[in-house]
Amino acid sequence: MNTRHKTIYIDAKRCMNCRACETACKVENELPAGPRYIMVSEVELTIDGVDKCEFLPLSCMHCGDPACMKACPVGAISKRAEDGIVLVDKNKCIGCHQCLWACEFGAPQFGADNKMEKCNMCYQRLDLGLPTACEAACQAEAIIVGTMDQISRKLRERYSTSSREQLFLEKTDKP
Amino acid sequence: MSSFSRLHEDLDKFAMATDVPITLGGKIVIADRVVKTACPHNCYDTCGFLAYVKDEKVIKVEGDPDHPITRGHLCLKGYANVQKINSPDRVKYPMLRVGERGERKFKRISWDEAFDWMTEKLTMLRDTYGPESFCEYLYSGNREHMIKAASSRFHNLFGSSKLVGSFCLLSGAAGSYYSIGEQNVMSPEVWADKTECIFLIGRNPSFTNPHLYPFLYKATERGAKLIVVDPYLTPVGSKADIHLRPRPTTVLQMIMGMTNYIVANDLHDKDFIAEHGFGFDEFMEEVRKMPIERAAQICDMDVEQLKQAAVMYATHKTQTECRYSNGHQTQRAVSCLAAVCGHIGKETGNLNYINHMGFPSIPGFMNAAKVAAPEGATIPKTRLINISTFAQAVLAAKDPPIKGCISYRGGLVSQQPYVSETIKAVKQLDMYVAIEQFMTDDTDYADLVLPGCHFLEQYGFHPSYWHSYFQVLVPVCQPYHEAVPDIEIWQELGRRMGFAEYFPKEDTGLDYIRWMLPDDVKLEECTSPNGPIRIPERWCPRVPYADYNFKTPSGKFEFYAQGMVERGKKFPGDWNPVPWNMDTDESPTATPELFAKYPFTLISQHPAFRTHSQGYNLPWIKEIEGPPKVFINHADANALGLKAGDKVRIANDRGELLNVLAAPTVRVRKGVAELSSGMWVKLGASVNVLTSQSVGGPRDVGVGIMDEYHPLLDGNTTAYFNTLVKIEKMQKGEKR
Repeated sequence: MNTRHKTIYIDAKRCMNCRACETACKVENELPAGPRYIMVSEVELTIDGVDKCEFLPLSCMHCGDPACMKACPVGAISKRAEDGIVLVDKNKCIGCHQCLWACEFGAPQFGADNKMEKCNMCYQRLDLGLPTACEAACQAEAIIVGTMDQISRKLRERYSTSSREQLFLEKTDKP
Repeated sequence: MSSFSRLHEDLDKFAMATDVPITLGGKIVIADRVVKTACPHNCYDTCGFLAYVKDEKVIKVEGDPDHPITRGHLCLKGYANVQKINSPDRVKYPMLRVGERGERKFKRISWDEAFDWMTEKLTMLRDTYGPESFCEYLYSGNREHMIKAASSRFHNLFGSSKLVGSFCLLSGAAGSYYSIGEQNVMSPEVWADKTECIFLIGRNPSFTNPHLYPFLYKATERGAKLIVVDPYLTPVGSKADIHLRPRPTTVLQMIMGMTNYIVANDLHDKDFIAEHGFGFDEFMEEVRKMPIERAAQICDMDVEQLKQAAVMYATHKTQTECRYSNGHQTQRAVSCLAAVCGHIGKETGNLNYINHMGFPSIPGFMNAAKVAAPEGATIPKTRLINISTFAQAVLAAKDPPIKGCISYRGGLVSQQPYVSETIKAVKQLDMYVAIEQFMTDDTDYADLVLPGCHFLEQYGFHPSYWHSYFQVLVPVCQPYHEAVPDIEIWQELGRRMGFAEYFPKEDTGLDYIRWMLPDDVKLEECTSPNGPIRIPERWCPRVPYADYNFKTPSGKFEFYAQGMVERGKKFPGDWNPVPWNMDTDESPTATPELFAKYPFTLISQHPAFRTHSQGYNLPWIKEIEGPPKVFINHADANALGLKAGDKVRIANDRGELLNVLAAPTVRVRKGVAELSSGMWVKLGASVNVLTSQSVGGPRDVGVGIMDEYHPLLDGNTTAYFNTLVKIEKMQKGEKR
C-alpha cells in the first residue's frame, strides 16, 4: 500500500444486509447469475446472552501484495501502479483456478467461460471521478472507496457532524 | 378492430438529457435518454429512479441523487429491474388457454382476438348473471393510484362488484385513526436531528424501508437510543440498544405492561394527558389488569429487560415508528403508550404509523372521484368485495355469483392466504384474465394471459406514505414486446362495452393524473425531468399534530375511542373502546388443542429479495436468496434431530410444503418458525399454502361481501401470522 493506492473501506457496524450492493454491481458490470464480485456474509453471534447478526460485504481486497498475482502461472493478474487496483486480463487467463487457491478471501469468481473475473473497483468509474457501484448503492453508507486520505477525510466529516459529547462520553439514562 | 394505442407519444420530452455517456460493463456506452421516475413497488421509500434507455431498452438504472430522502440509492430489487424488464421470460403476447386450468397450455392470439374474447365474456356475464358477477383483483405490486381510479371508471359504468380494503395494514391504520385522527408521518429528516430515542415496532427497515438507515444512524451516532420490538432477530434488532422479542401476537400485552409500569413509576406526561387526552381513566382500568410481570409472562420475556425499555421509552424524547399489522388493538395500545408519555406532535418525537398519502384520496390530495365517476354518467350502487377475504367472497357470493375477474399488479394465488382455497375460487370463474409480466402462479389458472407493462413502461401517481415527497411516474421507454399499458386495456374495454364517450382515444395516463391533482400542485413540477416535489404542508405538515388539534370526535387524543363505539353500533366486530387483552384466532394460548398437534407458530417476513412475489424468478435474486429455508431455533432443531440443510416437511390442516431446508438459528425463539413470504407456489415454498384466512379487526366483515366500507373506520388485514404448523424431518429418498 502507498498513499496513492485505493482501498474499499467497509463499516460492518453500518452494514444492514439490504444486499443492494450485490445487484448494483451486477448492473454496472453486466454480470449474469454466477460470478459475484461482492457478496454480503451473515454471521450469527451470541454475546453475553444477547443474540446478534453481523453482516460483512466482501469483495476483492485489492491486496498490497496480491497472492493471486503471484500464483497466476500466465501473468494474467496485475496491480495498477497509479492506484493499486488489482485487475485480471481474461484473454490471458487459462482457467486453472490457482488464484482461487491462493486467495484467502475467495474473491476470484468463475462464470460460464471458466475465466477468472472479480471486483475491478469500478476503475472506469473511479477514472471519471464517480463512486463505485457498490458505494453509490449503499444506503447505510457503509462502503467508502478511495485512498486512505480520502476515506479518513470522509469519516472525519461524518463524525464531526455528530455530537462529540454524546458520541464519546458516558451517557446517563436520567430523565 | 381495436382502437387502442400500444405505444406512447414521443418520450424524449421527459428526458433529463439525451445522448448520455455512461459506464456499463467496463465500457463507455451512449444512452439515448435518461428519464427520472419513481419506484412504485409498495414500499415506504418510493425511490427517485433514473433509467437509462438505448434503442427503447432499459440498459441501466440508478437512484436519483436529487431526491431529498432516497439520495441516489436504490435497493437490490430496484437495481434488479434491469434484469426484470429485459428478461427473456416475459409474457410477450396475448395467450388463450387451450388445456385445463393449471395445465399451462396456451396458444398465441392477437390483441384484437383477446379484446373480442373479453368483450364476449363480459357481455355474457352481464346478460346471464348481471354486471356484479364481475370484479377486478388489483393490489400493490406496482402500487400507484392512477390505475385504480381509471379502472374504477370502467367498473362504475359497467356496474361491477368493487374491490376494496387491503390485506396489509388497515387494521393497524384503523387503530391509529381512532386514537389520533388523521394519519400523518413526520418525515425522517425532522426527527433525525432531534430525537433522543427511536422505538421501532415490528419493522425491519433493512428489507422494507432501507432509506431509514441514514436517518437512524444520524440519530444514534448523535447518541439517541434505539429500541426494537420484533420476535425475529432482524438486522436492525442487532443494532438496537434493547431488542424486545415477545412471543408472536403478544405485542399488545407487552405494550400494556410497559404502560402499566410507566404510570406506576410516575414517568407519564401528566400535562399532556390532562390537556389533550380523552378517557384516560377508562384506559387505565384496562392497563391495571396487566402488571409488567404478567405481561412478561404472557410474552415470554425477561421482565427486567422490559422494565428497562419502559423507562428508556418514557424518559427520552421518543420517536415511535411502527407498523404492526397484527391487530387494531395492538396499534391502539401503541398509540396510547406514545400519548401516555407525551411523545406526540414534537420534533423530538412523534407517532408514525402510515402517512395518509398511502391512500391519497382520503385526505383529498388525489381527486379519484373525478376520474372514477365521470360527469353525466349514471353510476349504479353495487356491492363491495373485501380483498382480505377475496377467495372466501368469491366462493360465497350468490345473487349474483362472482364469475369474472381480471387480475393485475398482484399475485392472487401466491399472496392470498390458504392457497388451495384461492385455487378453488379461481377455478369456478367463467372468465379469469391475468395481466402479467411473467408466467406466474396466477397465469397457470387464467383463461387469458395478457402481456403486462413493467412500471418503467407506464404512467403512475405515487406519493410516498413515509416521507413527504411526490412524483409522477412516467414511461421511460416504449412497452417491450406486445405489452400494453394497463390503462389502455381498461380504456379499450370501456369503449368495447359501450362507454366510448367516457373513454376518448386521445386520453393518456398523464391526462388522468392531471385531472386528479390538487390545484396547488402543477403536473410539470412533479414530472421528469423535474420532481420530486414536497407535498404542500396542508396534507403533510412538517411536524404533524403539533397544534394538538386532533381530528377525533373529542378533538383530543382518545385513550377511550368514541369513534369505535359509534361504528360498533352499525357493524359487528371488536369495537372495545380501550385496548384490551385480546387473543388471536390461532395461537398456542387461543387454540391449545391445535397447538398440541402443530407446535410451531409460523411467521413470515417480507424478504429483501422481492416485492411480495415479484422478482422470485429473477436469476440475480435467486442467486442471493438460495433455495427455500425455514428458520427454527437451535433448541427446536436439536429436539427434531435437524441439522442445517436437512430437508423438512412443514404442514398443518391446510396444506404441506416439502423439501424446505432447515436453518437452525438464533434469529427466532423457541416454538417459532420463519419462512419468508412471496415464494411462488410452483417454484418455491409459498408460505400461503399454510396460512390461515383469519382477518384482523376491528370490523368483522365475515366473508367480505359488503354494502358499505371505510378503510380507516373498518380496518381489516389478513392475519397471516395466526398460523400454527408442525415441522418434520424428511426421510432420505422420501418424495411424496
